[in-house]
Amino acid sequence: MDVEKTIRGLKPLGGQVVPIRTVQETRPPEEFGDAFVAEVNVKSASKVIKALDAAFPKDPSLPLSHLRRFAKRELLPPPLRAEIENQSTPPAAPAQTIFVLISPPLPDLTTLTALLAPFAPDTAPAATNDPPATDETPGKSSQSDSSTPTIQLHPVTIPLCPPFNATQAETWTKTLWPVVFNPAAPRSTVAPPPQILKRAQESIEPRAGYYLSLARKVAEEAEQSGLGRGVGAVIVDPAIEAEITEAGYEAGYDTTEKWDEAVLAVAGDARYSRSEAGAPSQAQLHAGVAPNPASKTYNADVEGGPELHALMRAVDLIARWRREHDRLDDVSASTTTAGPSKPELEQSELSALESYFLYRHRPGTSTNISNSPHSPSSPLKRKHQDPNPESNLTIDPSTDPSQSELRHPPLPAPPPSTIVLADSSTPALRPAAPRIRTRSQGGYLCTDLDVYLSHEPCLCCSMGMLLSRFRSVIFPRRGRLESGGLSSEPVVGPVADEVVQAAEADISIIDGHDERGYYGLHWRKELNWRALGFEFVEDEDLEAKSEVGMPVFHA
Amino acid sequence: MEFQGDTVVAEDSRHGHFMRQALLMGEKALQSGETPVGCVLVHNDQIVGFGMNDTNRSMNGTRHAEFIAIAEMLQSYPRSALQSTDLYVTVEPCVMCASALKQYRIRSVYFGCANDRFGGTGGVLSLHSDDSIDPSYPVYGGLFEKEAIMLLRRFYIQENEKAPNPRPKKNRELNTKFEDGNEEVPETW
Repeated sequence: MDVEKTIRGLKPLGGQVVPIRTVQETRPPEEFGDAFVAEVNVKSASKVIKALDAAFPKDPSLPLSHLRRFAKRELLPPPLRAEIENQSTPPAAPAQTIFVLISPPLPDLTTLTALLAPFAPDTAPAATNDPPATDETPGKSSQSDSSTPTIQLHPVTIPLCPPFNATQAETWTKTLWPVVFNPAAPRSTVAPPPQILKRAQESIEPRAGYYLSLARKVAEEAEQSGLGRGVGAVIVDPAIEAEITEAGYEAGYDTTEKWDEAVLAVAGDARYSRSEAGAPSQAQLHAGVAPNPASKTYNADVEGGPELHALMRAVDLIARWRREHDRLDDVSASTTTAGPSKPELEQSELSALESYFLYRHRPGTSTNISNSPHSPSSPLKRKHQDPNPESNLTIDPSTDPSQSELRHPPLPAPPPSTIVLADSSTPALRPAAPRIRTRSQGGYLCTDLDVYLSHEPCLCCSMGMLLSRFRSVIFPRRGRLESGGLSSEPVVGPVADEVVQAAEADISIIDGHDERGYYGLHWRKELNWRALGFEFVEDEDLEAKSEVGMPVFHA
Repeated sequence: MEFQGDTVVAEDSRHGHFMRQALLMGEKALQSGETPVGCVLVHNDQIVGFGMNDTNRSMNGTRHAEFIAIAEMLQSYPRSALQSTDLYVTVEPCVMCASALKQYRIRSVYFGCANDRFGGTGGVLSLHSDDSIDPSYPVYGGLFEKEAIMLLRRFYIQENEKAPNPRPKKNRELNTKFEDGNEEVPETW
C-alpha cells in the first residue's frame, strides 16, 4: 500500500460533532413533589418570604433554587391557572397580587394559612356572590366574608431536581411551575461543564471528518488483512492540531490539509491474529481470505480478546513507542555499548498504516510550523486552556512553568537506528520533534489526547480509554453498537429518529425506545476518571440507514 | 457478592490457598513499584496464569493483573478453557477487567477487597450480572479482604515521585486498624 497516497486520497466524512449524553442526561432524575401555591398581596412579597423562611426550615439536602418563588398570574402554567380560576374568582385587582410557592418540606396547613393571612389579597367583591356553603376543601376556605382577606392554598406538583437544559426547564414551566435553567450551576458530576464541552467540540469539529475517515481506512485495512474485524482507532494530539492552526493563521494559509500531522498512532482490530496454546490463529487458519470468516458471526471462542481491539491496541502502540524510546534514552545516556535490551512484551506485527503513523517524525524544516517560535499564545498555552476535564480547572496556564516547558525546545530526532520499523522508502529525516512525548518529556499514558474510532468501543475498551486518561473519544453515530460502553443504544431503528431530534434542539429525554444498557461510561460521576464523548452524525445519516445484518460484537 | 461461607474455614480451604497466591503476586507488584494487585487463574485445580499490575513498567494504563494472567494462560490453553477457569484476585476487578472477564467467559471470580472507585462487579457497576451478549458469572468477595487492603495501604502511603505535585507523606503512619477493632493484621504467610 502506498500509505502517503492513501492518506492524501482520504475524503473527510461530512457531518457534525454531537456530544454524547451522560447517563443522567439520558434519564434525568424526574422526581416530583407536592407543594402549594397561595395568592398574596404583591406589596408584601418580601415579607411573605421572610415569614415563610423564618417559620419553616428548609431541607438542605433538597436544593430547590431552580424553582421560582413567585409567579404572576399571567405567568402561571396554563393548567395551574385554569385550575385556580376554576376554584376561585380572581381578586378585584389582579395586578396587585402574586402567587407564592410553598415548597417541601410542607408545613402544617393550618399554621401556614394563619402565617400567610396578613398578606392575603383584597378579596374581589364578586366573591360575595358565591354561596357560603362550600367550606370543606382547604382551597375554598371561607370565601363568604368579603371583609376578611383569605389565603387559599392550591396544591401543585413541582420538579425536585434542577432541569438539565433549557428545553426541560421550558416544559416544566409550561406544565408545572416556573423553573429556571442555570447552565453555570455546578453539575460536573452529572455532565461535563458546558464551557469545557464546547471548547473541546470546537477544537474537534474542523478535522473530525478526516480522522474518522482515516479510522475507517484503518478498519478496512484490518478487515482486508483477515487479522481482525473492521474496526479502527486513530489517536490525535489536540495540542499539535492547535499548533498547526496557529502556524496557519500566522502564515495565512489553510491548514485543514495538514490534518494528518496531529495523528500520533493508528491501530486496527487484530482479534484473529493471536495464536493460542501454540495452535494457528484464526487469521492463519483462513489465510488469504478476507474478511475473516469468523467475523460473520459472534463466537466468543474465536473472538481473541479485548486487548486486541482497536482502541486497546492504539493505546499500547503509544506505550510501546515510549518503551522503545525510553530504553534508547537510557542507552544513549549511559553510553553503554550493550545493544537495546530485548523487549519483554509481545510486540505484535504492525500494518502499513500502523507502522507509518507510529514511526514517522514530524516534518522538520520543510514547513515553517516547527520553526515558528512559540509565541505566548502558542499552542502550549492553548493546550492548557483546554485541560483534561478532571484536572483542576482553575490552573492558570501562564503560571504553570512545569507544563509549559514540556514541548520545547524541540528535541533532536533520535538516531536513525531508532526508526527500525519505519517505512523504508522514507528518505532520511531532518531533525524534528517526535510527535509522541517520551516519559522524560512528561508524556504520560494518553493524557489530553483524543481518540477517533470507526465504532463505539465495547465496555472494556471504554474503561480502558478512561484509564488511559484521554481527553475525548469520538465515533460515528452509525458505528453505535449494542455492546458499546458509551451511547450503547440499539443500532437499528431509533437512530434516524434520534438524528431528527438532535437536529432540532438539545434534547434530554429519550422516550419511546428501549433504554437497555445505556452506560455512558465516558462521564460517570461514580468513576474517578472522565472524558468527553462525541458522536459524529454524518450528513447521510439523515436519510435513515444502518448496517443491516451485521452481527453484534465487541469493538 | 459477599464471600459465601465461614471465612475462617474458607481461608484455610483451597479458595484460601489460591487467594494467598494472588496476594503473593500483589506483594511482588508492591516490590516493583506497581499498584499492588495480584491474581491467579485456576483451571482444574492448577494455577495456569499469574498476574500482577504492570501499568507503570509498561507505560500502559490498561495492563492490569487480569490481562497479564490471561496472556500467560493463553500460551498453553485455548481461550475456550477460560469457561472452566476461576479467577482469584486481591482487589475487585475494575470495570475494564470485569467486562474483559465476561467477554472471555470466565467461570467465576473470587476477590479480596471491594473497589468503590472503579469496581465492575458490584463496586460501581455490576457488569458480571448485567445483560449482555455474553453470559453472566458469579462473584464472591471478601476473601482475605484485610490483607488485600493492607497491601494497598502500604502502597498509597508511599510518596509518588512521578506525580506533578508529590504530596509529602513522611509523617503518615501506616494504618493497621480495621473497623472491627482488630489492631494488627495477621501475617498471611
